[in-house]
Amino acid sequence: MADVTFDGVSFRYAASTIDVLDGVSLEFRAGEITWLFGPLGAGCTTLLLVAAGLAPRHTGGTLVGAVSLLGRDPQATGSARFGQIGFVTATPELQLSGIAATVWEEVAFTPANLGWPIERIRSAADRALRLLGIEHLAHRSPRTLSGGELQRTVIASMAVLQPKVWLLDEPASSLDQSGRIRTYELFRAEADAGAIVILASEDADALSTVADRVIVLNDGRPVLDGAPGVVLAGDAIWDRGPGSTSIAGLARAAGRLVESPLLAAPYPVTVAEGLVRWR
Amino acid sequence: MAMNVVLRMSAVDFAYGSTPVLEGVSLEITAGEGVALLGSNGAGKTTLTRLAMAMRHPSCGTVTTVDRSTDGLGPEDLAASVGYLFQNPEAQLVERSVQAEIGFGPRQLGWPAAQTTEATATILDELELSDVALVHPYDLPAARRRLVALACALVVGPRLLILDEPTNGLDRVSRQTVARVVRARRDGGCAVLAVTHDTDFAIEVLDRAVVLRDRHIVRDGDVVQVLADGDALGLPLPGPALLAQRLSLATDSWRATDVARALAERCRSSGAPVSWKPPNSW
Repeated sequence: MADVTFDGVSFRYAASTIDVLDGVSLEFRAGEITWLFGPLGAGCTTLLLVAAGLAPRHTGGTLVGAVSLLGRDPQATGSARFGQIGFVTATPELQLSGIAATVWEEVAFTPANLGWPIERIRSAADRALRLLGIEHLAHRSPRTLSGGELQRTVIASMAVLQPKVWLLDEPASSLDQSGRIRTYELFRAEADAGAIVILASEDADALSTVADRVIVLNDGRPVLDGAPGVVLAGDAIWDRGPGSTSIAGLARAAGRLVESPLLAAPYPVTVAEGLVRWR
Repeated sequence: MAMNVVLRMSAVDFAYGSTPVLEGVSLEITAGEGVALLGSNGAGKTTLTRLAMAMRHPSCGTVTTVDRSTDGLGPEDLAASVGYLFQNPEAQLVERSVQAEIGFGPRQLGWPAAQTTEATATILDELELSDVALVHPYDLPAARRRLVALACALVVGPRLLILDEPTNGLDRVSRQTVARVVRARRDGGCAVLAVTHDTDFAIEVLDRAVVLRDRHIVRDGDVVQVLADGDALGLPLPGPALLAQRLSLATDSWRATDVARALAERCRSSGAPVSWKPPNSW
């Protein structure tokens, strides 16, 4: 069963004259990390907003077509979705509750509003802080956090819910290397436990090994869809989309200087694949 | 002071309340120098840049930005000669159109209208934002808002450019735009201080790396040398650099174009074995 589906979905913002999503039909499967990859303006963020029911309900604009999330229309279900969706925006500083005095309270905020028993809130919040490696920030005010600390706090405030659907917009953009690894491990574990993870990112080098599936968007339409190791190795992703990993780009750049089968498509995507081919 | 020192921090201490963030930090950046400020989340990188911009002031030591002690100054006093890109561009965007936003700084500085208009048009063109000149900044994708904020930092022609995570969330094309623009400023004599986790950007655009850890500067040197043994500091090498290192490629630098050239040479001289085929996994 497909748990998040788009059927002929188009979306246009009120201030715009073009459809930022243009007839999108997609199914997102549980147990997979699906990576949305596209140049700026391709529609990745909007697709997440529509899936969450935030667009057009909060953004304004016009939606055509059918969206289903866990068997319901995300536009109609309102607050019943709380606790089932973990949404991390590209602007974590705008996502804080604004009323929590500490990081721990911020993470406990949604569970408290859902009326969880205090013992459950306590153990879930402690676990979420541990998963993101921010136990040491528990008593700090969210206002005093650095950008990366803030991003981890926002992810923790979603991880606490153990949501069935993760909708993630550049969730690791401000994170240092260890934070990035930890966060991607968290999403991997969530997917393995049966969650639907949909992640929009430009971080091709990392996602090429983290994601199970990549959907390349361009001008509001999916243009490529498949395993990252295959999609990122081809020429089409350069011709019709955002480009690929730094290693695939290197192979292409070198291939323009010298004609060699070692530099032809399909290109190596990762450093490991590059070492296999060029050692 | 040497004429070309644009930023000087001398034995700087800073704390948020009772939490010390920087201790005994000394740093000099000269005109035309590109410096990456690296370190883990919460290391104090952004705080250091706020001291340089006189948004915060040291509890001990001195900060001299573009020939002025920041003591008693605020950021507005430095606005004519320092450009600052916030990590969250929303913190610095106040106008209703991209064009008005970029003209905001010059207007505050009392530039004549014609000069503001001309400078705005030039920077819109340089950052490939002309098509959205009349769009509200909040109607743009977050990543494109970052380019607008960068334009605002650049428009006054600063002598010091401070960038907090300039490539966050940018796609390949915009990253190349930012790299080109920042490199051009540096080559024109502007000093650049960039907080970044993007070591690829550091290698492509900057010369020197400073690493903050546990309130102190623990490394300060050539960006390639700092990153070459950055593993212990949690600093990853970008893919092309790692590949060049592991393949022992004869490359002039770790910049992608140089690595590509060295890789092309390697493939020219070795040639492919006749039996070579892509593995099935590709």
